[in-house]
Amino acid sequence: MINDTLFFMLIVGIIISAGLLLLFIWAAKSGQFDDANKMVNGLLYDSVEDLNDAIRKENNLKEAKEEKLKSEKDKLKECEASQKLD
Amino acid sequence: MSKIKCNHCHLEFEENIMIKENDLNFCCKGCQGVYHLLKNDGLDSFYEKLGNKTIAPPLELNNDDASKFDSLNFLDNYVSRTKEGFSQIDLIIEGIHCAACVWLNEKILHDTKGIVEANINFTTNKAKIIWNEEKLKLSEIILKIRSIGYNAYAYDSSVADVQASKAKRDYFIRMMVAVVFSMNIMMLSVAKYTGFFTGISKEVKDMIHIGEFLLSTPVLFYSGWIFFKGGYYGLKNRMINMDFLVATGSTATYIYSLFILFGAKGESYFDSVAMIITFVLVGKYLEVIGKKSAIDTLDKIKSTLPLEAVVIKDNQRKVVALNSLNIGDIIEIKAGEKVPVDGKIVLGSGSFDESTLTGESIPIYKKVNDTVFSGTINIDSLIQFEVTKSFKNSTFSSIVSLLEDSLNSKPAIQTKAAEISKGFSITILSLAFATFIVWYFLGLDLGFDYEGTDTFERSFIVAVSVVVIACPCALALATPMASLIGISELAKKGLLFKEAKFIETLAVANCVVFDKTGTLTKGELNVVKARFLDDNIYKVQLLYSLLDASKHPVSISIKKYLESKYENLEIKNLQNVKNIEAKGMSATYKNIEEKEFEIIGGNIELLREFEISYKFDSSKTVYLFAINKKVVATFELEDNIKDDAKDLIDYLQNKNIDVIMLTGDNEHVASKIANELNIKKYFAKQTPISKANYIKELKKENKIVVMVGDGVNDSVALSNSDVAVAMGSSADISLAVSDIVLLNSTLKSLKEAFEISNKTYKYIKQNLALSIIYNIVTIPLAMAGYVIPLIAALSMSLSSLMVVLNSLRIKMK
Repeated sequence: MINDTLFFMLIVGIIISAGLLLLFIWAAKSGQFDDANKMVNGLLYDSVEDLNDAIRKENNLKEAKEEKLKSEKDKLKECEASQKLD
Repeated sequence: MSKIKCNHCHLEFEENIMIKENDLNFCCKGCQGVYHLLKNDGLDSFYEKLGNKTIAPPLELNNDDASKFDSLNFLDNYVSRTKEGFSQIDLIIEGIHCAACVWLNEKILHDTKGIVEANINFTTNKAKIIWNEEKLKLSEIILKIRSIGYNAYAYDSSVADVQASKAKRDYFIRMMVAVVFSMNIMMLSVAKYTGFFTGISKEVKDMIHIGEFLLSTPVLFYSGWIFFKGGYYGLKNRMINMDFLVATGSTATYIYSLFILFGAKGESYFDSVAMIITFVLVGKYLEVIGKKSAIDTLDKIKSTLPLEAVVIKDNQRKVVALNSLNIGDIIEIKAGEKVPVDGKIVLGSGSFDESTLTGESIPIYKKVNDTVFSGTINIDSLIQFEVTKSFKNSTFSSIVSLLEDSLNSKPAIQTKAAEISKGFSITILSLAFATFIVWYFLGLDLGFDYEGTDTFERSFIVAVSVVVIACPCALALATPMASLIGISELAKKGLLFKEAKFIETLAVANCVVFDKTGTLTKGELNVVKARFLDDNIYKVQLLYSLLDASKHPVSISIKKYLESKYENLEIKNLQNVKNIEAKGMSATYKNIEEKEFEIIGGNIELLREFEISYKFDSSKTVYLFAINKKVVATFELEDNIKDDAKDLIDYLQNKNIDVIMLTGDNEHVASKIANELNIKKYFAKQTPISKANYIKELKKENKIVVMVGDGVNDSVALSNSDVAVAMGSSADISLAVSDIVLLNSTLKSLKEAFEISNKTYKYIKQNLALSIIYNIVTIPLAMAGYVIPLIAALSMSLSSLMVVLNSLRIKMK
């Protein structure tokens, strides 16, 4: 009985730590640990205002990409139209 | 007078010089401007984040050059396109001191319309900015950064930088996987080893083995993958390298442990597999970090050169990128600007600060037909020169590319270690193979009771046990353990060794080469003789005022001397202050009675120019001061030898180590210093390249060379030596290429470095002897099949403990 419990705990422990490790690998691959100094000081910059800023940044990036895509499409249309006129 | 804090930079200044504004105090207009800008833009939480830390006051910059950032030339060279069609540039931000500075720069950039992404790396001060060029010009981004008191330079993100960043991230992930799993394996191992003494059931032991197997597999095959790859490439080039040893050692241990896991008799060593991989990987990761930081420093150095030059053609001035300059082009540079490429002066004359190349702090006067070198600074005049070398072949670029090459090749002791490991691994693998053959063909059944195994299984287990026992922690720990303790002892004394292997190299070195200025001497001019022909305090104050208007090192030294000698010196209001290129300064002064005085201060040539006949012979740097054509004071200045220099030279010579001095200075100064320090071999008028060539020559004579230097001019020589030692106050680039940094810049600490290294090296040799004896005793036992599992496990731990305890003796006095 004790051995079964030990074995169960061992497997659960390994699964949990493997999960955390995968999370860490994802974070490291996305560049979150590239700047050691920034990472260490990161805790000081986690206020509500900073978190709102981060969301705003993400939204701005999305908007800018959409806007750029639209303007590229418009340019392409204009170009096609002018070619038809020619 | 009481000191108060500036509300922006938090530096303390005397109350009377502060700019007051209600309750606010500012040290300069720059701080005042930035403070209000941040308040108005709602960025004043910067000061909360800054806390009590101080920052430098905003840089005083001339924004006239901003338009150059929008020139097609510049955009072609430094701006790239993202796949979405945005523009991207890599910048180095100057003036970043803390995380609050990074926050402020990122915040102000993100709040700027048109900027899509701005990411600043705090460690390297490098920034990646992506923006929509239809909405915003690059010059506007640069001005935005300058408006809050920082400056930005573009740099060309090199392939080496991208590769180093990728390698650093890859090694970091592999190392962390190894560390996390090894920690868990060690927890299980503690339980298992305790069980040897307290009793442990077979089921629990099997369970621990399964856990260890699950945890060590990713360590060997994921984290350890680089060793398999390195070993494979080594074999492809017909070389058995360290990676091969690590890969074969750990794989053999892993296979042996698998046999045990699936029922064979004996003890598993999954914990050893994980620990071997983890330890070696941590060392490799530190090496990768070192390389990355050296590349970052090189990028910083490269970014200080101007990006473009003003070319004069048919009386028209045109801005041209440095790569597009042709030999024969005429370039114009203003006072304070850096020379972008090597050339010959065709118009004008003036002083050049060549300290980046020669290490000498005294500016050098150059006139028509003299050669100017890239990387030096034109101090005081407008110069036109003809390009004589392309940008890539110019002095500064050559130094940078030599350093880039040296980063990729630092062989020295590494090759020796590889040779030893090659011999070791071939011997062990041959012994193991021979054991297998003998056991299999002779059908031996000696030693330990291998009940239930057939001949092949038995022979295989015995052969693998030879590899396992021969790759013990003792041998692996012998050098690193003593080095680690040695390094921590050295660090306590302000001696930073970038890698442990330099302890060994320093201990066996037989030649030490010193730079002169800043290394053996203090590197600053001091007044050694002052004569006042007229001691009137009023005249001394006029001299003090004239000196205050100059930033020349000679003026600064005499000013300091006057401040130490006289109290309450006042700065008088001088008129017509003129800087006379490479000679000195002149000015006029009107007293209360409106009587005008002509005052001049400088070298003997300045006096001749003002038609003052005065005779003064000296081998030292001379400064003369005259009022109304009458000399009233003379000064002689000299660079002083450091207090502990003689002691260190004597120590080295007593140990039969060759001492050599190389300097960019002239023969006269070099021989004087060499005589005083009893240095028999010295070379004057050395350039950075000739210093490096001399080091190479010494190495060809099989000398193990230690180079001690401080300036950019020493960096190439430093990177060519076996051990490079830099003073803590050295130029960034010297610190980047050095192997040892003397934080307190004293030569006494260098003597201590030699003493501790010798002691550590002695214990490393003892440790190696201990582990070799261990191998000599255990390998034959393993070959004979007498390695009882319990004994093997214990002896492995005991041999490691023996090495650790022996290493701790380094700490004893």
